Amino acid sequence: MTLRDVRQRPHVVLIPLVFVAFVAAWESIVRAWRIPDYLLPAPSAIARALGLGLTNRLYVEHAWVTVSEALLGFLIAAATGVVLGTVIAQFRLVERTLYPYVVAFQTLPKIAVAPLLVVWLGFGVSSKIVIAALVAFFPVLVNVIVGLKTVDAPKLDLMRSLSATRWQTFRFVTFPNALPFVFAGLDIAVVFSVLGAIVGEFVGSQRGLGNLILQFNTALDIAGMFAVLLLLAALGVALHLIMQAIQRRVIFWAQPDHVIGA
Amino acid sequence: MPASRVLPYYERPAIRGGQEDALLITAAGLNQTYVSQDRSVVPALADVSLAVAPGEFVTIVGPSGCGKTTLLRILGGLLRPTSGTVHLLGRAVTGPSRNVGIVFQDPVLLPWRTVLDNVLLPVQVLRLDRQTYRARALDLLGLVGLKGFEGKYPHELSGGMRQRVSLARALVHDPALLLMDEPFGALDAMTREAMNLELQRIWRESGKTVAFITHSISEAVFLGDRVVVMSPRPGRIADVVTVELGRPRDLDLMASDAFGVYARKIRQALGPRGMLE
Ligand SMILES: Nc1ncnc2c1ncn2[C@@H]1O[C@H](COP(=O)(O)OP(=O)(O)O)[C@@H](O)[C@H]1O
Ligand SMILES: [Mg+2]
Repeated sequence: MTLRDVRQRPHVVLIPLVFVAFVAAWESIVRAWRIPDYLLPAPSAIARALGLGLTNRLYVEHAWVTVSEALLGFLIAAATGVVLGTVIAQFRLVERTLYPYVVAFQTLPKIAVAPLLVVWLGFGVSSKIVIAALVAFFPVLVNVIVGLKTVDAPKLDLMRSLSATRWQTFRFVTFPNALPFVFAGLDIAVVFSVLGAIVGEFVGSQRGLGNLILQFNTALDIAGMFAVLLLLAALGVALHLIMQAIQRRVIFWAQPDHVIGA
Repeated sequence: MPASRVLPYYERPAIRGGQEDALLITAAGLNQTYVSQDRSVVPALADVSLAVAPGEFVTIVGPSGCGKTTLLRILGGLLRPTSGTVHLLGRAVTGPSRNVGIVFQDPVLLPWRTVLDNVLLPVQVLRLDRQTYRARALDLLGLVGLKGFEGKYPHELSGGMRQRVSLARALVHDPALLLMDEPFGALDAMTREAMNLELQRIWRESGKTVAFITHSISEAVFLGDRVVVMSPRPGRIADVVTVELGRPRDLDLMASDAFGVYARKIRQALGPRGMLE
């Protein structure tokens, strides 16, 4: 990287610099004030805990549980969200009938249902999958509906001028046109599904990263808790990047800034 | 096919004899009123009657907002007029017909389809044989000067190229009538003149009947066998000017006296409120 590159894109240097400065300040404050590990561990202690947990595979096994819960929940949410969203957007009567319920459920904080689901479905993975699906479902549903309804009139005129059937218009125009929105919803949903799985594990579980956080919490292993948080952050970033990569291939024609969020 | 096959409409015996059934499309007493959002009634077209002969190139010129797009939508069966009738090839128009190809003001391409697949959209929708029409689509892409671009996506093309794709798409299912709504309005002056030349060539080679909307007087004179001049809102037909300039016309013609005479005549018909250029 030359000096000129740095001048043109200073943030490329500033991003790691902020990280290094932050970690260094944290480390020196903890050392200088002799803050005990059970209050705030130094970054070096967190790194040690993370290294240890990763090498004895403790974190990996728990992480695998959480990831599979989240991904299964996400897939259920994606499938039902796309199907139900399509039905709602295509049929006026269905929309008018169901929309009040959609709005009501959407405003309900879904994670509040988690204890109930654990009672119904038990401490195993199934309750976590359902919670993850529930939390991830609405961003998909809403974006599918919005996406299917934002077709510009000229494209519909074109299809009408060809006497296209409703199905042809859906298949050739409305559906592909909605894909950027659908992917925006999926991108949010995948992150939400991890949130749902963790919350489910908090409420009652035997395994998973959420469970591990609770274990560390009881043992006052604060460094371990931070290590799990780092792992969760890395997981979130990885899922987001995978979604972005899929998105770039599927909706190659759409610029990211054409898409609205949730 | 030889270019000389297509005679200007006014030289055709059938037209000279005034036989109605020789007309490709006729519009009689069209009126259109819109009800706008504040419930006020907007008269857009008033008593428009028009007849276009097979192979004829008619241009329709008028100030913006005078109802040109409205007229085109009615002719294309996309809009039912408040009153009046349209007949295409002797049959009353009640909806879109596969005998009409429309080039809209914007190219309206599907960004997820390649150029070739965009051109083949009508073929797919009308359930025609893809293999047969694929060859035709490639020929048409050649005709509009886009040979070799069939695998590109719309975002890889310039504005002028996109409108050429749109033209090829309007022609692919071989409609008898081509309706064009200010197709080159968004292009720069030089690209526009080049497109006018090409459109003239394509029209002569394909033998299509064209109704071409524009708000440019020189474009109207350059392209048209006949220029229909519309008055400001509500759109009425103020005058119809027959342009008896030979074909093919080249760009130098626009500097000629004869061309200037037609342009002046149309400008006068447009009236003081219709000054456009
Ligand atoms: N759907 C509509 N609802 C209300 N008014 C309309 C509608 N479409 C067009 N108009 C009005 O009708 C008039 C003619 O419109 P248009 O046919 O688009 O004119 P042009 O194509 O000549 O610019 C304009 O004043 C326009 O505002
Ligand atoms: Mg218009």
